[in-house]
Amino acid sequence: MKIMHCPLNGPRNISEFTYGGQVLAMPDPERCSDREWSHYVFYADNTIGVVREWWQHTPSSYWFIAERHNGSDDILRTYDPGELFSAQGDLTEGGASP
Amino acid sequence: MSQADGENILCSPISGIGRRLTDASNVLGLMDFSLAARSGVRGHGAREWLASRGLPSDIAPNHISDASDQGLVMALSQREFWLLQPDADANVQQPASNALAPGAWPLYCQHSHAWLMLIGEPKAAMMAKLCGVDLRECAFPIGQVAQTQMAHVSVVIAHHDYQDEAVFSLFVDQSLAEYAAGALTDAISEFNPPGV
Repeated sequence: MKIMHCPLNGPRNISEFTYGGQVLAMPDPERCSDREWSHYVFYADNTIGVVREWWQHTPSSYWFIAERHNGSDDILRTYDPGELFSAQGDLTEGGASP
Repeated sequence: MSQADGENILCSPISGIGRRLTDASNVLGLMDFSLAARSGVRGHGAREWLASRGLPSDIAPNHISDASDQGLVMALSQREFWLLQPDADANVQQPASNALAPGAWPLYCQHSHAWLMLIGEPKAAMMAKLCGVDLRECAFPIGQVAQTQMAHVSVVIAHHDYQDEAVFSLFVDQSLAEYAAGALTDAISEFNPPGV
């Protein structure tokens, strides 16, 4: 079985993980247009290459970020969201690095 | 959870039934501690709350520490801890809306998770049938915790001492407890001598 490295729990079978979508900076929900919000909620770039994605280790309910090549399906790196977002729960454009 | 009818493999210390079928350490046993006390705390102030209670507060995630007469403290992340008291009855806790302290909120693991305890020397070999994590002593020594899957359901496995014996405490969702106990007793039956 394919193995993924969870930053909290270590290597685990891929069946223990749930995909959570592409990592995108959240637009300000009070100011953005409906179009911008729908792009954030429903759309992904879907270009081939290394993508940054949310994954959850289901038994521990731990969310983290994985960098994966969606052509080869190789998981290149996994890390805690704290590396990307400045504060817990802050997914806005200011909270995420480029 | 209830006792397995006629098998006596599941035995609850709360109901006064003996904690094991035999004194032979090479025989596996499974006990139901679901009626024992356990509570949790979560939040950025959780470690401070533990320290204020005289409990171990510097535990790394996925480790469990003895808290002497207060039981055991298990760290599931940097901000989530469970206090396990195998020798105390389950108790009524305060509402979830009440913070224990600034940044420290109660968790209801007593209601959400069944608590099973696996004893006997071949427990790691038996668990290899059900779980993908290496639980042998060399890879999973006393004090370690694994959050993983067992028989396709989520489980928290803690390796600790209880009554001078190394045991695995297994925490599974209450709604899956009967299934998990069935999978465990089936696997145990392959390792125990006939008739046990």
